[in-house]
Amino acid sequence: MKLSKWLLTATLAVAFAGSAWAQQTTLRIFTGGQQRPDVMRKIADEYSKRNPAVKVEIEVGGATSEAQQQYLSTVLSSKDSALDLVLIDVIRPAQWAAQGWAEPLDAYLGADKAKLLPTYLKAYADANQVNGKLMALPYFADSQFLYYRKDLLEKYKRPVPKTWDEMMETAKLIMDGEKSPQLQGFSTAGAPIEGTVCTYLVPLWGAGGEMTKDGKLNLDTPQARQPFQLYGRMKQAGVLPRNIAEIATDRIRIDFQAGNVIFAMTWGYVWNRAENDADSKVKGKVGVAKLPHDVGGSSATCIGGWQVAVSAFSKNKQEAVKFARYLSSPEVSKMQAIMASHIPVFPSVYKDPEVLKANPWFADALPVVESAKSRPVSPQYPQVSDAVRGSMNAYLAGTKTTDAALADMKNKLAPIYK
Amino acid sequence: MNFNFSRRTTVWLAAIIVMVNGFFPAVWILLTSLKTETELIRSPITYLPEAATLENYMTAFTAQPIGRFLLNSVVVAGLSTALCVLISALAAYALTRLRMPHRNLIMSLLLAISMFPLISLMVPLFKVMRELGLLNTYLALILPYAVLSLPVCTLVMASFFQDIPPDLEAAAMVDGCSRVGALFKVVVPLAAPGVFTAGILAFVNAWDEFLLALTMMNRVNMRTLSVGITLYQGEFAFPWPLISAALIIALVPICIIIAVFQERVVGGLTAGGVKG
Amino acid sequence: MSDAAVPKQKDMSEPMLGALLLLPAVLLLLLVVVYPIGTLFWTSLHSVDNANPQAGEQWVGIANYLRAFDDDRFWHATLQTVIYIVVTVPGALVVGLGLALLANQPFRIQWPVRLSLLLPWALPLVFAGLIFRWFFEYQTGIVNDLLARIGVEPLGWLSDPTLATIAICIAIIWKASSFMALMLLAGLQTIPKSLYEAAEVDGASKWQQFVEITLPMLRPSIFVALIFRTITAIQTFDIPYAMTGGGPGDATETLAMYIHKSTLDFLDFGYGSALAALMFLFSMVATSGYLRYTRRSSGRGAEE
Repeated sequence: MKLSKWLLTATLAVAFAGSAWAQQTTLRIFTGGQQRPDVMRKIADEYSKRNPAVKVEIEVGGATSEAQQQYLSTVLSSKDSALDLVLIDVIRPAQWAAQGWAEPLDAYLGADKAKLLPTYLKAYADANQVNGKLMALPYFADSQFLYYRKDLLEKYKRPVPKTWDEMMETAKLIMDGEKSPQLQGFSTAGAPIEGTVCTYLVPLWGAGGEMTKDGKLNLDTPQARQPFQLYGRMKQAGVLPRNIAEIATDRIRIDFQAGNVIFAMTWGYVWNRAENDADSKVKGKVGVAKLPHDVGGSSATCIGGWQVAVSAFSKNKQEAVKFARYLSSPEVSKMQAIMASHIPVFPSVYKDPEVLKANPWFADALPVVESAKSRPVSPQYPQVSDAVRGSMNAYLAGTKTTDAALADMKNKLAPIYK
Repeated sequence: MNFNFSRRTTVWLAAIIVMVNGFFPAVWILLTSLKTETELIRSPITYLPEAATLENYMTAFTAQPIGRFLLNSVVVAGLSTALCVLISALAAYALTRLRMPHRNLIMSLLLAISMFPLISLMVPLFKVMRELGLLNTYLALILPYAVLSLPVCTLVMASFFQDIPPDLEAAAMVDGCSRVGALFKVVVPLAAPGVFTAGILAFVNAWDEFLLALTMMNRVNMRTLSVGITLYQGEFAFPWPLISAALIIALVPICIIIAVFQERVVGGLTAGGVKG
Repeated sequence: MSDAAVPKQKDMSEPMLGALLLLPAVLLLLLVVVYPIGTLFWTSLHSVDNANPQAGEQWVGIANYLRAFDDDRFWHATLQTVIYIVVTVPGALVVGLGLALLANQPFRIQWPVRLSLLLPWALPLVFAGLIFRWFFEYQTGIVNDLLARIGVEPLGWLSDPTLATIAICIAIIWKASSFMALMLLAGLQTIPKSLYEAAEVDGASKWQQFVEITLPMLRPSIFVALIFRTITAIQTFDIPYAMTGGGPGDATETLAMYIHKSTLDFLDFGYGSALAALMFLFSMVATSGYLRYTRRSSGRGAEE
């Protein structure tokens, strides 16, 4: 009796293992090198431990968001089925939906969708829905922050500036007081790169402007000129670095970390580097706040971060969606926050004591991330981005006036918003 | 006496100019690879490393399988060079030493091939390689690389084959050589500088290529060096010391190969000189 | 075996044998380029509305080509490419010829000189571009550092259209002269020493020897090097891409960069293909000019 029971169990176990073996699925996920593939490996291993039938392969691609997209454009235009999941930049869901590269997730989630979406930060729930369809799930968040030197503000007894004019004034005051030729008042991206789109958008939003209104271009407003004029004044006052048109994202961090920048507008990764890098000269002196705005406007910032999309050409969509849901869960959000300092997409995770212990600044980060707005949503976003960054860069380099830069931007955008 | 002195000075001056021009960026990379990132961002800049460290090399080897990248590059560049030189030699021979109709037309067509920007051919080429099941195999790069250098190699060898006196070849054929035999026993050795020049061209073209290598090989262990090195980069950060170390690792083998091939260019010449 | 092969070979007509020898090249070309090029032309006659790509490809005839003629950015990129060609092709030829002549000096140890001649070329293009960007950077670049030492204010090399174009040309010439030098050095090696010895006896000066012997004997090598340098210059991409990304604005953008952007960033495959076809046309015009010139001038060598 006992023996037969044991035999039965053993047979069942073997049969189960055998069937699991037969149903072994291998999911292939694409990620950029900068989104910490090592952390994703750990997360995937944890998932495989719970779901022994699923193995995850990680493909690590190009360094920048654009380099990745260029590779993915080739592969997906050929309807290649090698990839099951892809980490995509927050600016991409509209394009991916239009091209038919991402599998809409609504049917897979069913009734869960309505329960799931409100748990995310609102900006992320919105950014991943295109025409009411859910195209991807948020993996981690990011946004642009105002970084400032706490020590310098204290030394000159100045509050954290609320408006651009206050910020310029404070920067000028400190620069005059410190008399260091290396010291920059305010630094932000000015090179022809994606970040420069935000260099234009943040002051536009802060003045109460919008790039588009009801799907139409909305650049004939006085607010549309505001960003150019603001940087023009900063340049004149000597607050901007002289080579602003050359400045790409990491240059801001390097200068800030070397103690050469009072205020900087840049992404979330800077805080950890500035506070933890051995060579940082600003340890314990880094402040994070909402970005300034104009009188009458309100503070806003550019949303960033990465989403998990399921490839429309995947042959394992069912399993891929399950894994995507795991990747976009509070549990994984917490793991990422602790292991990689990735900013969580769930408000609840910001208050987790373990997370706060690893990233004390997340308390300050939450209100900023909550003020984040999407860059213009368009299936032709790359063209939009090209037009905005090109004009901003040319203006900062001094090769175009406000009128010329704005006219150029409008000309390039007109065919997209016709 | 006076003449001798100025002659030596000329030679030294020549050596210095050529070497400064060629080595300057390489030396700069080498120095950078020994620096720390902190030192790099300092202003005013430093030229010599303050505290030289080999740490970047250690990281280069541990952060990515650079040994594997190296192997892949050697295999791909080596085999595509061999294939390209062989095929181009046959074509160049046909175009210069045989009575072929429409020679100029064929030559022009061959040239036209190299005028298509690779970037615009990427999507169709990806489809071809996928249909053939060649993605993530060495052949996916060997074949296009051989084509990439085919026009230049054919033209280089053709310009060398032209100058070889026909009677040398005729003599070999009297000795019982076939036409193809004469090509490999007489024409190719006599045109050795051209053949090795073509070889170097093809090798370096393959070694440098980025876009195809990125697209055709997406498994980490099939990546070539030019793509592999970019994997050390971050979205925002560009770790120059680490990337410099990786570049030096990539430059060493190609320098050895060039040095060896260059030796042959000179060697082939002396052999040819005796006969001419 | 060889006995059987020889008469067979002898029987084969030269055009037949020639065709046979060309066969491997033709097969490879068919597979790797002819089909993709066919697709390219076909794509250039179609268009996809990227606001609604699901509608699929539409036949648009030559509309993509017509669009290019009205596109200021296309003309600007073409002009910028022409500037790079006009400056860097002769520039690289002169520098490359100089380097080849210098490297052809009788050194006791050859390899360090040869190696330094080839190093610029062995450095992958993308990284060469990045290194030169760094050299020309405002704060941490060597160029501004050296300028500061002689009392010149730092210049914004990469954020001024003219200075950026100059910086890019310097980088391209540095990189390309290495290729030129390699090609010309191989040519120099084939010039018989006896020619110079005879000229020496006749009392010809070094300069006369250079003009009367070196240049004419080098002509085939110069010709091949020039053709390929021109074709590569038409396709200039990596160095400006790495150095300025086309900026400030679109000021330093080349045609190849615009094609790259239209195709892989904007996903406008139809328009990108049409631009590529136009670029191909320019290349054809440029090289057929060369071909005609050489056929006339070195007629003996090429025709028979």
